[in-house]
Amino acid sequence: MDLFDKFGHLPELRERLASAGANPFGVCMDEIVSATEALSGGRRILLAGTNNYLGLTFDPACIKRAQDAIAQHGTGTTGSRVANGTYDLHQSLERELSDFLGMSSVLVYSTGYQANLGTIAGLAGPDDTILIDADCHASIYDGCRLSGATVIRFRHNSPADLDKRLERLAPGSNKLVIIEGLYSMFGDVAPLAEFVEVKRRHGAYLLADEAHSVGVFGPSGRGVAEQAGVLDEVDFIVGTFSKSLGSMGGFAASNHPGFEMLRLSSRPYMFTASLSPANLAAASACLHELRSRPELRSNLWRNARALHDGLSSLGLQLTAPPSSIVAVRVPTVELAVAFWNRLFDAGVYVNLAIPPGTPNSTSLLRCSVSAAQTPEQITRICDTFGQVAKDMDLLQPTTSA
Amino acid sequence: MNPVATRPETQDDPVFARMCALLAPFNARAITITRQTHITTDLEIDSVAVLDLIMEIEDEYGISFPMNLISEIRTVGNLVEAIHQLSGAK
Repeated sequence: MDLFDKFGHLPELRERLASAGANPFGVCMDEIVSATEALSGGRRILLAGTNNYLGLTFDPACIKRAQDAIAQHGTGTTGSRVANGTYDLHQSLERELSDFLGMSSVLVYSTGYQANLGTIAGLAGPDDTILIDADCHASIYDGCRLSGATVIRFRHNSPADLDKRLERLAPGSNKLVIIEGLYSMFGDVAPLAEFVEVKRRHGAYLLADEAHSVGVFGPSGRGVAEQAGVLDEVDFIVGTFSKSLGSMGGFAASNHPGFEMLRLSSRPYMFTASLSPANLAAASACLHELRSRPELRSNLWRNARALHDGLSSLGLQLTAPPSSIVAVRVPTVELAVAFWNRLFDAGVYVNLAIPPGTPNSTSLLRCSVSAAQTPEQITRICDTFGQVAKDMDLLQPTTSA
Repeated sequence: MNPVATRPETQDDPVFARMCALLAPFNARAITITRQTHITTDLEIDSVAVLDLIMEIEDEYGISFPMNLISEIRTVGNLVEAIHQLSGAK
């Protein structure tokens, strides 16, 4: 009996990945040239899998704010929020997010992962029941485990299935429903208004993780709930600074007065060093850009549609309608790894996603779109996909674009 | 170790028969499925597929199968017993 026996087939998978070429899960970017390009292994790589939706990581104003914050407040806080680690920067960012989302209470966390962990485990306990969409992110599953609550999965994006599973529960216990706005692997969107209707009918609470949808959806970029016109009916919003907001960290927001109690009960909020000054200032500056430059969102959508059109007209199988996430379905893990390697050799980086990290045992080449990409870069991504798919004989004849 | 007890081998348990049928697509090595069969190590089924299978079982028997309970289920016998218990508790 060996401590490492539990890894089962992982060593074999690792070997298989290594023998196929570069390790898709161990790529090192030697230098980031811009929001859309990097140097890796001495080659210039076009980045098509970064979650840098608004492309703000090299925005001069955001860089300046982060640099000034380091000069003024230091490189790290060296303390937690409940000790010496709450700065004016944390509180002002919480106020800015509160204003942006129209929610009275906002807690800033040190990562998006911890925002889910801390919010879910802070809100729900052993006497409560959590119902989660089957395709929810690992941080949501982990938060559920940490909470000790009874956890029930419902079928992905199915309000009717949630309704049925709520119906089955014994009356009495508190019910928390958890969904995402935009799902990170397939790039599909939750039917928020329908979920709100179901949760209201059952007297449940609703938490929506808008990590991938803030800055992408909604008339003012507040996410899928805003887009669906139900933002004020969502009890809790969780989000991140590490995608559209070009930084690090996460947040959770609510209008429930009791939500402030999480500052004194949420362990992932209390027992970790607080977010660093540079990250706070960058998130704040990026939020300002998000709010004042709607053209970022229109560029993102222009690119998203172009990439989606380009890839689907090649005859590749995509997982969802256009969004900031455009994922190509590949029949097997082996083909996906080979496809990924050829793309990388040709100078295009996308995300490789394979089971069990994906729904329905799907293998995916996941692209994320950025407002910073030029139309020429989108064309190059499509052309490279087309060339590789043709070389691998993976193209099916298509009837419509 | 296993909090869910395994009842003696009975061939006429319809729940056991149904589980064998549901697990058959994952039986890549074509072993004989018994109550002692380990779900994740003896069959080719990953952790997410197990969770999806549980949703089917919930619908078929009209039960709620908490995820917390799933981690305690190792064998087909554990699974069958859990279904009996949850159906009885309805």
